[in-house]
Amino acid sequence: MVYITEWDKFVEQSIELFRADPDSTRYVMKYRHCDGKLVLKVTDNRQCLKYKTDQAQEAKKMEKLNNMFFALMARGPDVDLSEVTGKEQMDAQPTKKGRGRKQ
Amino acid sequence: MFYLSVSILLFIVLSFWFPSTRPKQRPLSFLHQNHYISTMVLLQLDPFLNELTSMFERSTEKGSVWVTLKRSSLKSKVQRNKLATAGEAIEYRCLIRATDGKKTISTSVGPKDHQRFQASYATILKAHMTALKKRERKDKKKPSEADKREGGSKRQKKS
Repeated sequence: MVYITEWDKFVEQSIELFRADPDSTRYVMKYRHCDGKLVLKVTDNRQCLKYKTDQAQEAKKMEKLNNMFFALMARGPDVDLSEVTGKEQMDAQPTKKGRGRKQ
Repeated sequence: MFYLSVSILLFIVLSFWFPSTRPKQRPLSFLHQNHYISTMVLLQLDPFLNELTSMFERSTEKGSVWVTLKRSSLKSKVQRNKLATAGEAIEYRCLIRATDGKKTISTSVGPKDHQRFQASYATILKAHMTALKKRERKDKKKPSEADKREGGSKRQKKS
């Protein structure tokens, strides 16, 4: 199993994998505090996509992916994801401003 | 500026809210600890979040926490076939399972309550994923050197 190195690719492929077989695809997050590592995995028992990181920044991206999967799984695979991501971006903007980009 | 203060306030309120609700669950999980080892317990949303929080707290020294999301109808194959032949729609929910390798807990969210849950879930993750590296304000200063230093001071492989 090879880890996918680009986040966007991982997101795109994992959503694709889920939509191809919603009933047998699962999304797993593993967090290891003592090593400061985070591993994400999406698999349908035939294909396995993995992504690992140790960056706090990536955890924020993961939150977005979490929300996408919550929506996909709770509301169904046909849910409009742009709605989910759009909302997220609106939520994220104020914090970005707060971080002092202007300074 | 207004948004910032609102979001900070919300975070403070949430972070106070979670620890304050936890002690209620503690005695219960302690009593049934042996029970948890062999079986998976389907919990309500708030007990699940409380238990997840203590899982994160228990695994700071060693160990990992796994959280799995899966789409599920929470019904057996037989039940599903029955519904299918009767021409009824199968209701799917999002099943959430968490384990630290010793005990497993689970809960499920439907279309109506997943948004509330995912917000609380994100707050818990944010509060406990503190071992991840913060990116330095590198902007123009050499980022490669900082990375090398980080890599050089590797943590012990075995604990």
